[in-house]
Amino acid sequence: MQHKWLYAGVLAALAALVLFSLGGGFWGGEATARHWTHNLFYGICHQIPERSFHLNEIPMAVNSRCFGIFAGLFAAWAAIPLFTRRLSGNPWPARILLVAVMLQILDYSGNVMQLWENTNSSRFVLGFILGAPASLTAGTLFSTNNHNGK
Amino acid sequence: MDTEQMSTGQLDSNKPGLSDFWQSVVIVGVIFSVVSFIIGLFLGYRQIAAEPTGSLISPMMISGVVICLVTCVAGAVAVWHYTREVTQYLKLGQGALIGFLTGAVIVVVSVILNEIWMLVDPDYTEKMIEAVIANVEAMDMPQSARDDMADAMAESVRSSQSITQQLFWGIPITGLLNLVTGMIATAIFGKKEEETF
Repeated sequence: MQHKWLYAGVLAALAALVLFSLGGGFWGGEATARHWTHNLFYGICHQIPERSFHLNEIPMAVNSRCFGIFAGLFAAWAAIPLFTRRLSGNPWPARILLVAVMLQILDYSGNVMQLWENTNSSRFVLGFILGAPASLTAGTLFSTNNHNGK
Repeated sequence: MDTEQMSTGQLDSNKPGLSDFWQSVVIVGVIFSVVSFIIGLFLGYRQIAAEPTGSLISPMMISGVVICLVTCVAGAVAVWHYTREVTQYLKLGQGALIGFLTGAVIVVVSVILNEIWMLVDPDYTEKMIEAVIANVEAMDMPQSARDDMADAMAESVRSSQSITQQLFWGIPITGLLNLVTGMIATAIFGKKEEETF
């Protein structure tokens, strides 16, 4: 495996991302006050409480889809060393990522057009499905035998 | 001298400098922040003008999702631009750096654009908060839950106006997500050159 320091740095950053996204319920915040973790994610997430999981009756700092994406990014990133050889030059993570992006668009559009109503659980699962192949696609470059599959 | 040695020699003599990174970072960063700012403003005024429906799927919510997607893709686009305009040979760390810096540029330019808009329409934030609260008030849920949600969303809009908060919180998170998309783009668009890390 190459780029070990980059791998470790991103792993630590993604772990922090997941932990911070748990919000005030995890970090000892109060239900009545806005927690600093909410400020952290304001720019990238609508943070609507009704569309977020709750921890200790406090909504998490990101909605369920964003949490799924972060969890998927972290889980797959942590697993990269286990699959370094298999990932080398493997086009499948990028293909699955493309399908996952289309699934998000489909799910979001269907919900906006009121064809169906997604739930926190379904948004989390779809988010996870997007985050995991995103990490694995980048993971294809960590093998010392990598030739980008080209 | 065989072909491989010649191409390695050419690579060394034409090694891209920092300014080549910045060109892609700044161009893509500025374009994406302007686009996301315009989308945010358009949907923000739609929210202000809209009758409160009580629906969670409001212009503000759509704005949040669209802006998030647009800003996160920027790192990948910056790397793609770099591979098109400078060289296809880039290291994973370089792709990551281009992605992170693009995220940082987006945050900084967005802060500047927001401040300029506060001069154009100083009441924008207050009008936005009123619209958000009116929409929450129309929601079909218990009064206490409505109050909590209205407070949370109003506070969310209000806190977004602090320059320090926008920079301090925005750069690491937007930077990290763009770093990841930058690496993905390196895997897809880049070609590998021999390296030690």
